[in-house]
Amino acid sequence: MDPSSSGIQEPFDLIRLSLSERVFVKLRGDRELTGVLHAYDGHMNLILSDVEETIMIVDPIEGGMEGQGTVKVAKRKMEMLFVRGDGVILVSPPSRT
Amino acid sequence: MSFFGFERSNLEQEKKKFSEGGLQETEDLAVYTWGEESYDGLGDALLEGGDELNDETFGGTGAVGKDFDFTSQTLPTPVGTTRGRFTPTAEPFRERTPVVERTEPASKPRDRGLSPAPKSLESIWDDKSPFSMLSRAAGHQRVPSNLMKSPFPPSRSPALNAYADHRPLSQQQPISHGINQTGVRTLQEIEAEMRAAQQKRKQQEEILLQVQLQQELQREEELRRQEEFRVQELERQDLQRLQQENLLADRMRARLEQEQQLRLQQQARMSTPRVVSHLAPSPRFNQQHQHQQQILLLQQEQERQQQERLKELQERLRMEELERQLRAQQLSQLQQQQPNLLARRQSPYADTQRRTHSPVIDSQYALFNQQNTQYMPQSIQLQQRLLSEMAQVEFMRDMQGISQAEQEALRVEAMRKIMETERMEERRRRKAAKIAHMSRYNDLMTQSDKDFITRIQVSQLVTQDPYAEDFYAQVYGAILRSRLGLQSQDERVIKFGSSGGVGLGLAQKGSGRRQSAMQKMEAQVERIVNNARLREKEKGLHSLHSLQGALGKTSGRSYKAAPRQLLQVDASSATISGTHPHISKEDGNGAAQEAAKLGREALGQAAGSDGVVRKDPLTQRQTLVVLEGLYDLVLNIEQLRRDQPLEEDEEDEEAFVSWSATYNDLVEQIWMNLKVMLPLETSDPHPFVSLLTPVKGKKILPRLSRHIAPPRMLTLLTLLVACFSQLDVVKHAALLDSLEETPERQDVERQTQAFLGSVLQSILPVVAKAELRVITGLLGLLLDRTNIVISAQTRPGIAMLTLFLSRVEIVKQGMSSAQESSEIPTPAEAQQWQTMFDHLFQLLMSHFVLLFPSTRLIAQPLPVAAPLPPTDILDQPVWQFLAALALHASSDQQSILVTSLREKVLDIVTSVNKGWVADEEERQTKLSNVNLFLHALGLDSSQISV
Repeated sequence: MDPSSSGIQEPFDLIRLSLSERVFVKLRGDRELTGVLHAYDGHMNLILSDVEETIMIVDPIEGGMEGQGTVKVAKRKMEMLFVRGDGVILVSPPSRT
Repeated sequence: MSFFGFERSNLEQEKKKFSEGGLQETEDLAVYTWGEESYDGLGDALLEGGDELNDETFGGTGAVGKDFDFTSQTLPTPVGTTRGRFTPTAEPFRERTPVVERTEPASKPRDRGLSPAPKSLESIWDDKSPFSMLSRAAGHQRVPSNLMKSPFPPSRSPALNAYADHRPLSQQQPISHGINQTGVRTLQEIEAEMRAAQQKRKQQEEILLQVQLQQELQREEELRRQEEFRVQELERQDLQRLQQENLLADRMRARLEQEQQLRLQQQARMSTPRVVSHLAPSPRFNQQHQHQQQILLLQQEQERQQQERLKELQERLRMEELERQLRAQQLSQLQQQQPNLLARRQSPYADTQRRTHSPVIDSQYALFNQQNTQYMPQSIQLQQRLLSEMAQVEFMRDMQGISQAEQEALRVEAMRKIMETERMEERRRRKAAKIAHMSRYNDLMTQSDKDFITRIQVSQLVTQDPYAEDFYAQVYGAILRSRLGLQSQDERVIKFGSSGGVGLGLAQKGSGRRQSAMQKMEAQVERIVNNARLREKEKGLHSLHSLQGALGKTSGRSYKAAPRQLLQVDASSATISGTHPHISKEDGNGAAQEAAKLGREALGQAAGSDGVVRKDPLTQRQTLVVLEGLYDLVLNIEQLRRDQPLEEDEEDEEAFVSWSATYNDLVEQIWMNLKVMLPLETSDPHPFVSLLTPVKGKKILPRLSRHIAPPRMLTLLTLLVACFSQLDVVKHAALLDSLEETPERQDVERQTQAFLGSVLQSILPVVAKAELRVITGLLGLLLDRTNIVISAQTRPGIAMLTLFLSRVEIVKQGMSSAQESSEIPTPAEAQQWQTMFDHLFQLLMSHFVLLFPSTRLIAQPLPVAAPLPPTDILDQPVWQFLAALALHASSDQQSILVTSLREKVLDIVTSVNKGWVADEEERQTKLSNVNLFLHALGLDSSQISV
């Protein structure tokens, strides 16, 4: 009779739970998004609203070691966003405090 | 007995035939006889049109090196295999239509070259028209056309001409021979040889023909030209001589010449003047024509008289005679043509065409044509045509003595016409070009091709549940229709019994073409589906499907867009195990907590005397899972609502019964899932409140409440009021009183909006029908279970209180008007309400000012000189609440109210009256806010003197 026992049968059902909720999306190319999930499909294409994108830009230092560099963080906001699924690494509910 | 559908007897027959050597006649196999003694020469059939281009391709124009001849070094393929490989392409021709194919190549070039073969002198002239030059440009280096298009080649003899064109081909032969010597023969070589042989034969024929023709033509041409030149000479001399004596004639002549010059230019550029002349008819032609003929006749008469009078030389007389003959011939020609021309609608262009037959023009025309053979753009040609028309009109007017002004007007008119016609022409051409562009691929597909593709497309559209597949379009269409006040069918779906259907999306409005296209599509879809069904039936009858899969499986899903499902998690296993592999860790936690709880229960702490089982509040995920379940249910029930059978239909009695059973079942499930009936003490927050926490939980409530019976809604409302302080929007409302823009604040704002918009909207009808004692009870519950001072400082709290107060006000009004006795509350109930209200007033009394968000905002430690946001809109609900409070308040309470709010009211009125508020809109809002409250007390802001 556990209410959560029904409903989850496949991984996408977990994403379904986050519909119209704020989610955290990690993308390829050192990008992260947080936004309200409105729709998704089998390719993990997502439609998000009220999105904040965080882009990590690593500037390699001249003559420095491999992997060294300054990390800059660029942020931008978008009202509505379509995210193509091939760039999505993970979708999760945002960490709650 | 048949094997794989082949008739065995056929095979036998074939075998027999093969063994008898009758293969060549019947079998569609490549039988290659080229190069043998028995070669029938049918390989020549390969030669079709366009071979003259091969000269370029195969380098017929210059010496060709052997650097491309790789085959001789690397591929020593035997001759026989090469032949066997390549020749089948040629053979089918032989099999099918050997005779036609053989004759065609010979006849085709002749057709092209000689089709405008001169039957009369005129046709030769025609052939000199620019279009014949064009055709030369298209089929360049074509022997016959080359000979035809220059009828006056003074230097070239026909034989030379023919040789010149033959040369490139004769050059090819050494090349092919050179390769032949290596013993390796490629397709190109074979083709070249075949073509050379064919070409030679053809050219011999052609040269013979052309020589004859050329000679004939030239003889005729020479004769004619001599004649014409002499005539022209004569005319000019005549003119000069007659100038002094006959001014009128001279003038006419000059005019004519000028005009004719124009006309000649125009004609030289017109592709086929005769055709054009018929294409552009005008009724003016006949009259003008006759007129001009008269002029010409007059001229001739005068000339003749003059000549007789002056007694010209014998030779001249003879020439004159010749000229007369020519004219007479043309006149008779014209007269013959006259009825014919009359029958059509005639034009000045036809007229000009006729007039070119006068000897002067003819000779000039011939001269001109020789000089000017270039093709001119159509627009220039058109312009000249019009110009000549204008000149002609002018000439006619001049002859009749018409004033200068009129001429000018005519010219202007003509110019205007020219421009207009040009524009029309331009538009027409653009349209034609567009049509040509669009029709490039016309008829590439047959009807069956199109049907096939349509079938594939339609098969993609057919689904089990057309409405659900097309859900958003359908719902949007329904919303649009209801907004427009249209009453049309509920679903735009084609259904095919139980098997499925096609969603049609939005109804098409406006353009009739799309509408008809949609209708056509619908009809087509229905037809296709019906056909498919029939075929299915037939299949069943013939039981052909027993053979299905005999040749292996085909993958039918290749066109489906969905990704292949790699993980197939069995649904039943999940429910059987009762746990999720994904969240096993949490389950472990849960189990531990469950154990701890059981322990507490065993100690008798949790279980109350009423036997309530306390539970932990729903976790975030549990809430979301329940909500997803609810969404599924609500979608199902909404679909069920749409499928509702007609209640009054007797035949559907059974269907309706089963339908309502399903419906009630779904409603019951929804009610269970809402967890309203769980005891208040189950958890904090209550599971129902947990469900309302996410935005989607708030938003689903109005959709659910439609299906829930009013008594249950009242229960829901009671639960909501009892757990009011547990609501997230109440708990986190303090965040809204900060000026900082944080994501949390935004989130609370969003939640609050959703709560006011959805949850309160769905309980509004319940409150609006509630009796006084119910309201009293609810208010009592609110005061009892929540800290009313804090709740009243939240927007949901204020909204809820206002809702109660205004409902009571309406009940009171109904009491005074005393319409229905049943609705009138008993005095006891009224007394109870009054007590409850007094209690509320008592609690809020010292906090009235704090109810205003603006007051609370000012109390906040301001970030550096941040401008205050417009708070008047935020204050509005509070003013409304206070007005409602004032209506219920006794005079004592009213005075308390006024005293506590005095400062606030005075502030606002002063700021408005002293013009501190620049914005007119803000001023209005402030005033209306204050008046809202003051009116409830029977006052007005204008009464306040500052």
